[in-house]
Amino acid sequence: MDKFRMIFQFLQSNQESFMNGICGIMALASAQMYSAFDFNCPCLPGYNAAYSAGILLAPPLVLFLLGLVMNNNVSMLAEEWKRPPGRRAKDPAVLRYMFCSMAQRALIAPVVWVAVTLLDGKCFLCAFCTAVPVTVLGNGSLAPGLSPPELARLLARVPCPDIYDGDWLLAREVAVRYLRCISQALGWSFVLLTTLLAFVVRSVRPCFTQAAFLKSKYWSHYIDIERKLFDETCTEHAKAFAKVCIQQFFEAMNHDLELGHTHGALATAPAGSAAPAPPEGAEEEREKLRGITDQGAVNRLLTSWHKCKPPLRLGQEEPPVGNGWAGGGPRPPRKEVAAYFSRV
Amino acid sequence: MEKFRVLFQHFQSSSESVMNGICLLLAAVTVKLYSSFDFNCPCLARYNALYGLGLLLTPPLALFLCGLLANRQSVVMVEEWRRPVGHRRKDPGIIRYMCSSVLQRALAAPLVWILLALLDGKCFVCAFSSSVDPEKFLDFANMTPSQVQLFLAKVPCKEDELVRDSPARKAVSRYLRCLSQAIGWSITLLLIILAFLGRCLRPCFDQTVFLQRRYWSNYVDLEQKLFDETCCEHARDFAHRCVLHFFANMQSEMRARGLRRDTADRDPEPPVTPGPQDGLDGGGSGKAHLRAVCSREQVDRLLSTWYSSKPPLDLLASPGIWGGRGGLNHRALTVAPGTGLSQHTDV
Repeated sequence: MDKFRMIFQFLQSNQESFMNGICGIMALASAQMYSAFDFNCPCLPGYNAAYSAGILLAPPLVLFLLGLVMNNNVSMLAEEWKRPPGRRAKDPAVLRYMFCSMAQRALIAPVVWVAVTLLDGKCFLCAFCTAVPVTVLGNGSLAPGLSPPELARLLARVPCPDIYDGDWLLAREVAVRYLRCISQALGWSFVLLTTLLAFVVRSVRPCFTQAAFLKSKYWSHYIDIERKLFDETCTEHAKAFAKVCIQQFFEAMNHDLELGHTHGALATAPAGSAAPAPPEGAEEEREKLRGITDQGAVNRLLTSWHKCKPPLRLGQEEPPVGNGWAGGGPRPPRKEVAAYFSRV
Repeated sequence: MEKFRVLFQHFQSSSESVMNGICLLLAAVTVKLYSSFDFNCPCLARYNALYGLGLLLTPPLALFLCGLLANRQSVVMVEEWRRPVGHRRKDPGIIRYMCSSVLQRALAAPLVWILLALLDGKCFVCAFSSSVDPEKFLDFANMTPSQVQLFLAKVPCKEDELVRDSPARKAVSRYLRCLSQAIGWSITLLLIILAFLGRCLRPCFDQTVFLQRRYWSNYVDLEQKLFDETCCEHARDFAHRCVLHFFANMQSEMRARGLRRDTADRDPEPPVTPGPQDGLDGGGSGKAHLRAVCSREQVDRLLSTWYSSKPPLDLLASPGIWGGRGGLNHRALTVAPGTGLSQHTDV
């Protein structure tokens, strides 16, 4: 556990290495999934291509959607996209930034799956075994003697060594080597192309839209942090609400019971005991409620938060000391900075 | 555990160490990738050379680009290169230094792949088996040229029926592997000698300029990181106060509507004036974090100005657009050198 905590701490030490860490983990998970998967070519002329295309394309789609779903910020993006403008204008650049960074991270696992599938070669072999140039690789003179469906049926069995019976026409090893070589070449080209694209996007961006990029990054962090803080404040409020509600209930029960008793035997009880003093800490809880003390008010607050977010303008509480750099007391210890590192 | 902790701490101690750590990690990944890759020479006349050379050169290129991608300093370098001059002049020497350090680190993984491939020998055998001179080997004396070519193309495939258990195949294969390993070790030796000479002779040339460039490139990197960190802190405080304002506004709105009259008897507290100091641990520190930048327009203007016109590298200059230097100095004094660079959580 200690080792994991340290690795996690190292990866979290800055945003960049955390993102690299996540990318590495997703790539490993995808590669591991592929190696655990048991590829099983049907070796039938019509079905080979469909099966291979399915294996090459369906899991990447699933992995991409999974990557989006598991990212908590998808709901944040959707919320920001669909909220009514209210008193706070919407910035499409921020939405684009959030979507791009989420999509980039979600694309890693599919890319790794496709690359590993092509480099392994079984999928390609299964899909294109009927398209092997028999005249070049095998005994070309015997090929015209077979009708195309016969030839296709024969070649479709190349991926399955136990049922292949065409060694007189084309040695199985030759066909397998040929197709795997092409598959691996395609795989490496795909890897090269993707890394080149990623490199170009990352390096060329500072040349064009750096100022807009800084703004989008800041505001997307802000939206993420604001949402977390709002949820935290609501949780605190709910806790305080519950505590006060329960205290009041007990007080009321206590009051009722005492009234019941005084009706009976203790008619001369001192007046002071009728209303017991609230316990210490009750005042703190009431303050945490910030004046929102009934269900209707809470519902109104939450509706208002969604429909009409407050404007991004805090107003000057007091004139800035000197020239804006309010360098008041010593800098407080950074207690919660890392907890609010946005994952966008 | 202790040695892991010491290792991690060492790698986190400066941005250069972090980059070295990433470089080593990428080299380790390369070794693993090479050993898990299933080499598959096609053993066909024209395809062998393409496959062999392709495998020797394409993965290194992809790994080089990965090395550039994983290194944060490459982005910092491009940003420094493309920024408008503003108040701070640009020094091409610093950009060249950053470029060379980024390139050196990115070259480690590709070189590891190439050396592994050469020392292993399979790539070389596959690529050059068809180009071997048959005169060198006596076994080819009584074969026609086309047969020789076919045979040579199949040399990399041990299990092929044409060349299985053939002493000629083993001879050619041994010859090519020996050549491949000789080239591999020569390249290794050359690289180490170059690195050694580079390291030893550098102090003979322009040591002061080198020290300055190293300092300022480290500075640029750290400044960018600290700016991002400060923006995060600012965003957090902005959000905190925004949320508190919102709650306070709701409270005053409802009071205005008279909706608290039924609860006023139960909550005999004095009406809380909606103050942004609520909930903050020390109003002074909260204001310090916000630094009087409290609206969307101000934040946008701050970020645009940071990009288009970075402040001059002069902490004692007269206050201009960025106000008093006292704040920066103060921060510099209160942040201890060891802890300011790393971002350990102080939970």
